[in-house]
Amino acid sequence: MIEVKNLTKIYKLNKKQMAEQKTKDSIKKAVDNVTLTAKEGEIYGLLGPNGAGKTTTLRCVATLLKPTEGSVSVCGYDTVEQPDKVRESISFLTNEIKLDPQFSPKYMFNFFGRLRGIDQKTIDERREELFDYFGIHAFEDKKIEELSTGMKQKAAIAVSLVHDPKVVIFDEPTNGLDIVTARGVTDYLKILKERGKLVIVSTHIMSEAEKLCDRIGIIINGRKAAEGTLDEILAQTGASDLEDAFFEYYKQYHKEV
Amino acid sequence: MKGAKIIIQKELTRVFKDKKLVFSLFVLPAVMMIGIYSLIGFLIGNMEDDVEQHISQVYVQNAPEGFDALVKESGYGETAQIEYLEAGEDTAAIQDSIRDGDAELLIVFEEDFLEKIAAYQSAGDAIPEVAIYYTTSGNYSTVARDNLEAAVLSNYEKLRLGERIGNLEQLTVFNRSYADLVDENKMGGEVLGMMLPYLITFMLFVGAMSLGVDAITGEKERGTMASMLLTPVKRQEIVLGKLVSLSILSSISAVVYAVSMIAAMPIMLKSVAGDAELPFSIEFSAVQVIQLIVIMLAMVYLYVALVSLVAVLARTAKEANTYVSPIYIIVLVAGMLTMYQGGIEKSLASYAIPIYGNAIAIQNLLLGELTLVQFGLSVGGTVLAALILTACITKAFNSEKVMFNA
Ligand SMILES: Nc1ncnc2c1ncn2[C@@H]1O[C@H](COP(=O)(O)OP(=O)(O)OP(=O)(O)O)[C@@H](O)[C@H]1O
Ligand SMILES: [Mg+2]
Repeated sequence: MIEVKNLTKIYKLNKKQMAEQKTKDSIKKAVDNVTLTAKEGEIYGLLGPNGAGKTTTLRCVATLLKPTEGSVSVCGYDTVEQPDKVRESISFLTNEIKLDPQFSPKYMFNFFGRLRGIDQKTIDERREELFDYFGIHAFEDKKIEELSTGMKQKAAIAVSLVHDPKVVIFDEPTNGLDIVTARGVTDYLKILKERGKLVIVSTHIMSEAEKLCDRIGIIINGRKAAEGTLDEILAQTGASDLEDAFFEYYKQYHKEV
Repeated sequence: MKGAKIIIQKELTRVFKDKKLVFSLFVLPAVMMIGIYSLIGFLIGNMEDDVEQHISQVYVQNAPEGFDALVKESGYGETAQIEYLEAGEDTAAIQDSIRDGDAELLIVFEEDFLEKIAAYQSAGDAIPEVAIYYTTSGNYSTVARDNLEAAVLSNYEKLRLGERIGNLEQLTVFNRSYADLVDENKMGGEVLGMMLPYLITFMLFVGAMSLGVDAITGEKERGTMASMLLTPVKRQEIVLGKLVSLSILSSISAVVYAVSMIAAMPIMLKSVAGDAELPFSIEFSAVQVIQLIVIMLAMVYLYVALVSLVAVLARTAKEANTYVSPIYIIVLVAGMLTMYQGGIEKSLASYAIPIYGNAIAIQNLLLGELTLVQFGLSVGGTVLAALILTACITKAFNSEKVMFNA
């Protein structure tokens, strides 16, 4: 289970960042008092426009960032108090984190498997299964820098799952993928759910969220606008689909800033 | 420690599987080192040959009797084209051509030179003069002057002196004889002792610098470091893995430099000295070798830690290189200090100063004078500094500001 309680994350900006974001404030509140809960056996979708704070929230869950205020716990372990325990049970995929371009998918898979203390036999079995599923065998010995965006993404997904984690956190996993490959990824997320894993994905593709997610959290401008099943969200706004519902919230929450 | 080991393996694989990297890190420097040294040797040798073979243009005014004969007898005439000038001829144009490097030497004997020598009776009487015009720019003129003085003028002086006092031996009160009892090891040690600490300090740092920035700032920039930070492996182990693999690679690169330098040195000296025996030989005892290796390992660790700290704090590789440059200069200066401070008595405490202390310790070691206390202080001081840096690096690895720019 993932429990995000009153999470606030403030970035301190340096001069260059302030110029880039055209702001005079030296701090940026990327996530503002957000509370979310996601449970095993469900796919939780984190929705929000660009810059809403999705990646920041997920990084806090993945122990890479420490909450400025509030707390995050994964499988009962606090991300600040016991980050090692959290890291053991999660897989985290985000587009800024990459595999070493000079190595092959196979080498990276084995490397992270061994780094996580998994025995070679298990690593080999896991690799067979994942490389089979994502069709990585064809390029498993090529250097990652020589792969296409889609191939890289497939390799990154496979490597991130080497330790068969209980919690899978994917930040825009279908970003840059064609519809066939994207469907392959979302189908695998369903398989993971069926195996009892907790899957949390961020996306701005509404149709994908509608089909895939059991529960949805919408964040806009760092704040939680809504949380619930698709039906609950549609009922709350009286909209006919998620996109309309999303715009309702967007109007409401964007104005307030 | 298992995590560190796996990371070390990967880092080494990264370098050794990449043929281009291996070439540019290890092969190219060796080839270049030997090439440059051979070229320097060749050029110096050429220059010396050139000076030796050069026929100098020499002008002599008012040459006294017997001078010409001595020139021929001494063989000086073979290395110089001598033109004799009449008394009263203007030499201004010749002086100009010496200044311009077109001629080498002008010797002007005072008029009535021999008469004046003969007329000398007692103190206060006139002593005639030989004026020698030359230039210190370029090598030809000074060499022509030195040769003339040694081969002709001093002999001419002896001849005239002989005429005046008869037996020249009267001027010799005693003879000197010299026996050089130099310990060749020690002499070799002095030559090497002046150069090596400087070269070692510098080479080790270059190795650490070029590798460290890419392995740390580069990984941060590429987003590959974060993937390691997502695993439950302890940060200390990741840091350890990075530092050890960098140390191994810098050591190899330093060894490549050192070996190629030692290989290149005789090539250089040979072309300079011709077939003459090399001016030094050196032998190390086993203890000395071990001490040298230990000191160098401590230095590698320190340099790698220093570069890594800068590399981890920097946001981009460019920034890292900017910050590393001043440290590089400090390292160079520390090495150079030891080159020019040979012989000055150093306090024990100065051995504990990282970099500087290592350099003077290596210097003493090569002279065979390194005490165990000095050795211990030198290694201890360096390792302590490196450990403090390592702690800072680990702290930086735990900082989200440093690792994720957040
Ligand atoms: N390292 C950082 N330093 C300063 N500000 C940051 C940093 N990372 C993100 N931000 C800011 O925090 C806010 C939230 O960013 P975040 O990346 O979490 O958004 P997101 O919802 O993932 O957006 P997207 O859909 O574009 O990926 C943005 O305004 C962004 O500019
Ligand atoms: Mg994002």
